Amino acid sequence: MDYILMLLPSMLKGLTVTLKLFFLTLMLALPLGILMGMARISKFKPLKWFMEFYVWLFRGTPLLLQLLFMYFGLMTVGILLERQFAAYLAFVLNYSAYLAEIFRSGIQSIDRGQYEAADVLGLNRFQTMKNIVLPQVFKRVLPPIGNEVINLVKDTALIYVLAISELSRVARTHVMRDDTFVPFIIAAIFYLIMTGTVQQFFKWLESRFDYYR
Amino acid sequence: MYILQAVDIHKKFDSLKVLKGVSLQVEKGQVIAIIGPSGSGKSTFLRCLNYLETIDHGEITIEGEIMARNGPDGFAIYSPEKKINQIRRKMGMVFQNFNLFPHKSVLENLMLAPMLVKQTDKAAAEDKARQLLEKVGLSQKSNNYPFELSGGQQQRVAIARALTMEPGIMCFDEPTSALDPELTGEVLQVMKDLASEHMTMIVVTHEIGFAREVADRVIFMDEGLIVEEGTAEEVIVNPHHERTRAFLSKVLMAR
Repeated sequence: MDYILMLLPSMLKGLTVTLKLFFLTLMLALPLGILMGMARISKFKPLKWFMEFYVWLFRGTPLLLQLLFMYFGLMTVGILLERQFAAYLAFVLNYSAYLAEIFRSGIQSIDRGQYEAADVLGLNRFQTMKNIVLPQVFKRVLPPIGNEVINLVKDTALIYVLAISELSRVARTHVMRDDTFVPFIIAAIFYLIMTGTVQQFFKWLESRFDYYR
Repeated sequence: MYILQAVDIHKKFDSLKVLKGVSLQVEKGQVIAIIGPSGSGKSTFLRCLNYLETIDHGEITIEGEIMARNGPDGFAIYSPEKKINQIRRKMGMVFQNFNLFPHKSVLENLMLAPMLVKQTDKAAAEDKARQLLEKVGLSQKSNNYPFELSGGQQQRVAIARALTMEPGIMCFDEPTSALDPELTGEVLQVMKDLASEHMTMIVVTHEIGFAREVADRVIFMDEGLIVEEGTAEEVIVNPHHERTRAFLSKVLMAR
């Protein structure tokens, strides 16, 4: 018990690093994902092609490689990013690509009749998106986005490759130093609390959208 | 002067010719029923009048304003987007599948367009919405959501929603085709009420009885052309063309 108490300060410090990456990625990747999702089906072909390429690139390579690239890769061509920043950049770009695909499919799942009804009532494209399409998209994409957010909680552990002391790296340091498995168990409990919270939060969000079908 | 004039409308989807020269003149207050087998182009024609589809050739004029006319090369040229939007404001549209906004209550469905498009203030929009719901007999449902209503009730809400924009012409695209037979009556009744108030109406329908009872003019379309038109008496009771007769006997037999 004393050992656990002794571990806690450094593990909590690792946890805050993890949480910071988690929230920052979400806050930036969600709006970016919506915009990219719309760009992905834009009538302006070059934009559409660019987004297709972007999604292919960032969904098609391991996040781990992207992290290494943002830091070590860019370093070899003379661009030295701060390690934290390189991590944020890789996560935001990667998660935007996944979320863009979710929003794209959500937007495309809305019935054509909704657009036509808004159109004959005189709503312009922006009003139609904002008032008719996106509110319905949000309800539909909640389950897949919940999945991605849970993945994000666990993916944060990858930034250890940039020697950033997030939760799992702190735990590993203790395991190796103290020759005990306990730090890993504590880390696991932290992850479970985080993913459990996300799960409950999305359950609540989904119930908030239950008022219509 | 005609409130709506469409001249020699041609339209094709890829290589499939859907409209091969359809013309229509509508006077203010007239009720026009367009009947015909599926695939005859009647819905496409209605959607062209509303700019939901664009035409390849022909002229469309609504309340004296030109929406599209033929250019020198024989292809239709549309007026600038801004003018088209003004012209379209004069037309209301009711769809086969209602197309209500599922995430909005009945009242919100009716208030949305006046507030966003005409900048009507909220109180006035709500007044107008309640008034129209009363008119279609759905005052009690104002706070319900579309999924809680029957098909007939949804379609009546859709009619009320189109009326919020105070259109000069109401277009109906098979408004009862998606309804259970026992629910068509209430929708047709609302449409009859509108007709009796001298609303100009263009109705694409399979309801021969409605066409016969309400329409000032009945148009029978087949294979992208108007085969026969005239009063209900002329087209439905005493059709001249073999194709009209064949269609009517099929439709009436099914009753």
